[in-house]
Amino acid sequence: MRWTIAALLVAALAGCSSTPKGFEIPGQAFGCPTGDAKVSSMDDLVKLKVMSEGRRTTIQPTEMRCSRSGDLLKIDANLNNDSSTVKRIAYKFRWIDREGMRAWEEENWKPLLMYENSNLVINTVSPTNRAADFRLILRSQE
Amino acid sequence: MSAQPRTPGLALALALAALLVAGCAAPEKTRYGDAKSVETLTNQFGSTDLQMIAESMTRSMLQAPVIVSGNLPIVTVQEVRNKTSEYIDTRSITDTIRSELQKGGKVRFAVDAVGMSPQIDEIKRQQGEYYAREQAVEKGQMVGAQYRMEGNITSIVKQVKDTKDVYYKFNLQLWNIRNGLLEWSDEKEIRKTTTRG
Repeated sequence: MRWTIAALLVAALAGCSSTPKGFEIPGQAFGCPTGDAKVSSMDDLVKLKVMSEGRRTTIQPTEMRCSRSGDLLKIDANLNNDSSTVKRIAYKFRWIDREGMRAWEEENWKPLLMYENSNLVINTVSPTNRAADFRLILRSQE
Repeated sequence: MSAQPRTPGLALALALAALLVAGCAAPEKTRYGDAKSVETLTNQFGSTDLQMIAESMTRSMLQAPVIVSGNLPIVTVQEVRNKTSEYIDTRSITDTIRSELQKGGKVRFAVDAVGMSPQIDEIKRQQGEYYAREQAVEKGQMVGAQYRMEGNITSIVKQVKDTKDVYYKFNLQLWNIRNGLLEWSDEKEIRKTTTRG
């Protein structure tokens, strides 16, 4: 009996520790809002949140994390340039409200220089508490 | 007596030259563009710089403790000093920052020094004999700001042969008017390099 309880405790602890981080709250992944979309990995989250407009770029986020700053959505996106050349891109965020409408007017494109074989974290905070979701939009400036 | 070309050949040559000049002038074409696109026509201060500075400052200020507290602080906009060697309409930058913050609904703005004169003029006008007494605004009802926003923009310009490098630094501060404490401050740096050829 004692062994059975001990085994059950070990199994319960193992079960807890295997829960993937960032998936604790339904409708969120890595702190970012995901709605009803099925997100089971960082790649899924990046695919869901990142869009390309205009000329395509090879720069892609490798990681995205979100948190709250008061009632605003705070976002960190780690961009990666794994090529051996300097890349110039432009990016902007698009803010979406709970109804799927635009929560804020279109942002301006922000130019960014990425050195060869480098990572760069871009971060922002939502301009309004009406913003419940976002998209990161990238384009090449080459 | 009018001045006529002496020979028909000369008249013909003049007419042909006029046609040639008219033909060489490139036709003008005007199109609307994207006001939010990245503008790199010259390395002087441009629309992208203004937009990037305003957005960066606004988003940073939204995270300042005095604004996160949610008490709708009242701010007045003071001067952003232009310490660069070029003409920059710094009022345009603070106007954009003010609009963004106002739209976000986290900050209220009190009339600033520039707007004070028309504000007083309007109060005086309403107190004139042509306005209904009960609806006219009274003197002494304006609300003073709790914080003042000021800053400066500086630049370092260097040129060697065909390469020109411009570095801008925009600094914005939010001061507590009552106790003189600096409540928030942030900077935005921009580097632009132009090479010829």
